[in-house]
Amino acid sequence: MAALKLRLPASPVENSLEGRAFVFSGFCVAVLAIVLYGQDYVVPAAGVAATAIGHVVSYLGRARKRSMLGQALLASLVFAGLAYFLADSVLALFGGVLPQANFAIALVAVTSFDLKTRRNCYSSLWISLAILYLAAVYAWDYPFGILVGLWAVCLAGFWVASHLRRMGARLSAPPAALAAVVLGTLAVGLAGFVLIPQPTSLAPSPVVVSLPNFVSFKGELENPALPLVQLSGDPSGATSTIDLHYRGRLGDSPVMYVRTGAPAYWRGLVFDTYQGGVWTTSKRGFLEMQPYIPPRLLPPAPPNNLGTFVQVFRVLRPLPGVINAAYPIQSLYAPVTSLREDSYGTFFTPDLLQPGQTYSVVSYLPNLTANELKNEPAANAAQFIDPIYLDDGALSQQARSLALTAVGGHTATEFDEVMALTNYLQTNFRYSQQLGHVPAGRDPVDWFLFDVKIGYCEQFATAETLMLRSLGIPARLATGYSTGTYDPVLDQSVVREHDAHAWVEVWFPSHGWVPVDPSPGFSALAATQFPSHWAAGGIARLIPHLEIGAPLGAIGSLGLVAVIPVAVAIAVLVVFAWAWLRTRRRRGRGGTKAGPCESELLRLYERVQRKLGRRRAPPETPLEYLSGASPGPVLGVLEQVTDAVNEGAYAGRWPDPNVVRGLADRLS
Amino acid sequence: MSASQEQTLEPQRAAELLGRIEENVHLVIVGKEHVVRLAITGLVAGGHVLLQDLPGTGKTMLARALATSVGGTFRRIQCTPDLLPSDITGSSIFNQKDLSFEFIPGPIFANVVLADEVNRATPRSQSALLEAMGEGQVTVEGTTRTLERPFFVIATQNPTEFHGTYPLPESQLDRFILSAEMGAPTDAEAMEVLARRERGDPISQLSGVVDLGDVLELQDACLRVVAAPAIRTYIVSLLQGVRARPDVLLPASMRSGVYLQRAAQAWALFEGRDFVLPDDVKLLAGPVLAHRLSMRGRAKADEMVQALVASLPIPPLRQH
Repeated sequence: MAALKLRLPASPVENSLEGRAFVFSGFCVAVLAIVLYGQDYVVPAAGVAATAIGHVVSYLGRARKRSMLGQALLASLVFAGLAYFLADSVLALFGGVLPQANFAIALVAVTSFDLKTRRNCYSSLWISLAILYLAAVYAWDYPFGILVGLWAVCLAGFWVASHLRRMGARLSAPPAALAAVVLGTLAVGLAGFVLIPQPTSLAPSPVVVSLPNFVSFKGELENPALPLVQLSGDPSGATSTIDLHYRGRLGDSPVMYVRTGAPAYWRGLVFDTYQGGVWTTSKRGFLEMQPYIPPRLLPPAPPNNLGTFVQVFRVLRPLPGVINAAYPIQSLYAPVTSLREDSYGTFFTPDLLQPGQTYSVVSYLPNLTANELKNEPAANAAQFIDPIYLDDGALSQQARSLALTAVGGHTATEFDEVMALTNYLQTNFRYSQQLGHVPAGRDPVDWFLFDVKIGYCEQFATAETLMLRSLGIPARLATGYSTGTYDPVLDQSVVREHDAHAWVEVWFPSHGWVPVDPSPGFSALAATQFPSHWAAGGIARLIPHLEIGAPLGAIGSLGLVAVIPVAVAIAVLVVFAWAWLRTRRRRGRGGTKAGPCESELLRLYERVQRKLGRRRAPPETPLEYLSGASPGPVLGVLEQVTDAVNEGAYAGRWPDPNVVRGLADRLS
Repeated sequence: MSASQEQTLEPQRAAELLGRIEENVHLVIVGKEHVVRLAITGLVAGGHVLLQDLPGTGKTMLARALATSVGGTFRRIQCTPDLLPSDITGSSIFNQKDLSFEFIPGPIFANVVLADEVNRATPRSQSALLEAMGEGQVTVEGTTRTLERPFFVIATQNPTEFHGTYPLPESQLDRFILSAEMGAPTDAEAMEVLARRERGDPISQLSGVVDLGDVLELQDACLRVVAAPAIRTYIVSLLQGVRARPDVLLPASMRSGVYLQRAAQAWALFEGRDFVLPDDVKLLAGPVLAHRLSMRGRAKADEMVQALVASLPIPPLRQH
């Protein structure tokens, strides 16, 4: 049996200085992305410096043979990097911001001392791409596209510098075809721009939910950090309000990063009183507490608790001193002088939270599935001590009858009632962040339910809360942030301005406050669940920003307009397929394609070489290879194949398929 | 000219003709198969050949044997420092009887011309000879006279270190399609030479085996040998490789590339092929390129070309 050879084909030594410059630039672009989006500075700066030195060293030494000692040193440095990665990520020894990115940067820095061949240079570029990917997890803006483009330019530049130079070829393209491609691409882009629904005022287009929309959007409340809530100076937070007549600006900038074991809603302030379009709180007391709040000072675990999970919040911009976290909380630590807890279980810090500040929370994970909640009969709902949660005084008679219609026939359990109303709101009303002004004198809830039928989270949540109360189910309004962009690989969420959210908390006597989300495009039962890392959904989320479009539920409210993007995509595909078929047919007619025997013969020639155990060296001519071949049964075939190859390659007379087949038969 | 003669020469027939010439030359020249073949290649390619070596290595004998074999006229120019251009081209002398000037052709008017020890002539005479080689015509006293085809010059040259030599300038070296060194004979060859000379000079019994028409046909057939694009690519990369060598002062000219292709075409005929193989180019790269390169210091052009040929990848076999 022949010895198994597992050797990569040789890669040429990279002599192009420009090519190496492109490799280094590609790395710099990736590091720039880490600096901009990961806000990590020390390791990237050191990495760039070390890599620059490494490039110089490896360029000067490219002609030298690799030494055993040098390779061993490099390998040990790579393992040292790996050890750092484990120490920083698993054990959190260094408190690194982005241990995986730092590890990749260290890897590039170490290997840059050994960039001898073209393959090494490509490896360096691919690691840069991985670094870029890590930065992409945090990026949510168009400038990131510029960085990706720059990296692609570096890759193309390296390809040109390395391959074309070596082949002695020059880039040339037919100008007409080139112009057609450029103009065609522009036309397709233009058509997409015109035809795909854009965020305009009152446009029913949830497609823009995840797209940057700050251009056409102007909010009255310039409070970017907690956009939905008007905060007062009251330390209890009790005088903060939500006024449905106004709204805040919802941009795309990240507000905080959350390292978490499960994606959840990050709950902040809770409101219980609604009057004249304004939500306020009725309870004003608060407790002063230590910055570390152990479990014993907090309510006990819910009876149906599944476990706990940890969240670490890193604040990216000045935030009001509200601790947003998954609810209910088991224990909490924030690096401040003291904490306050209000009557609704929300915690406050004495000052603004500053960029770079972190706090960590351990939360319970109550078992709040549909099956579990269905056990509670509807009649139990009103057994509640505080009547403020049943106050529906602000709701019009029209809205009350609408609530009754919505839940008609689903009154067996409290859960059925809640879900019936939630589904009714989700399917019959449209979600839009572009909302006009409430006319003077009109109740905002009535205006939403009966006039425009368009709203965003505040309208939906307010309407649902009041309608539930009218049905005798205690409910209140919760605000905070929705999960944000959750990456199951990094166990991290990026929470942005536009993730600011409002939802409903419904009282189930044996389960406590259960989050319910009536906004279209969100899961109706908003309880936290552990992420499914391995399910298809989880894998799809590995690709950053795949979910540009809206959830299916939201698309349903679009109507026929939702067909347009799909139709454009299909049209583009059809045009491309047609063009491809056309060129294929033309090529077939022109007869410029290589004769089939050429490939077959050359493949046969390769086979003979493999059989002989020695490949033809690049400077060797077929005849020289033949004269160097060892005698044996294959030699006879090699002689004939060599003659045929010479005749084909240098006289243009490729043999008949039958001849090639005959030779192949003789070989085997 | 009959119809059969107008038809193209079959490669097999060409190989047979060339074999006959080779065989005939070897009646006189012992061994040196490679040099003999190179010289015939030069003739078939329509170029001129430069033989370099010490005196007495058989350069002149090779030239004479070749001339006799192809049956053309043979003239010899013994180059000396006092050789004048008119000694090569010929001149007009006054005819007392007719009272007119009469042109007496010089030794250049022949099919095969041996310019012996060409680097002993003064540059002025050298350029007269080399002009005839380049143009295939001579101009004497305002009248241009065309030389008869085939016209083939074998120049011999002593190594330049010898006293009393005028080294040929690079531009004139460039006009020779190839250059070869005779090299010293082996002991067996030397004994064979002595044995043949025991009863006199064998060249006196030598006779032509082909005629001038055959030579012209061979030159024609040479032009019809196919040099594939891959071969052209290979030659160009070879020239570029020479240019890129740091020890080359004067790189290979474009003409040398043309000559390399032509010589390879002629060489292919020896094996009855109607297409050029990279092997032909490899083999001829040294003889065609080395003598026209000007090297820095003591570097040897021939060794450099051999090293280059051994390391330069041939173009990919796949053309599409």
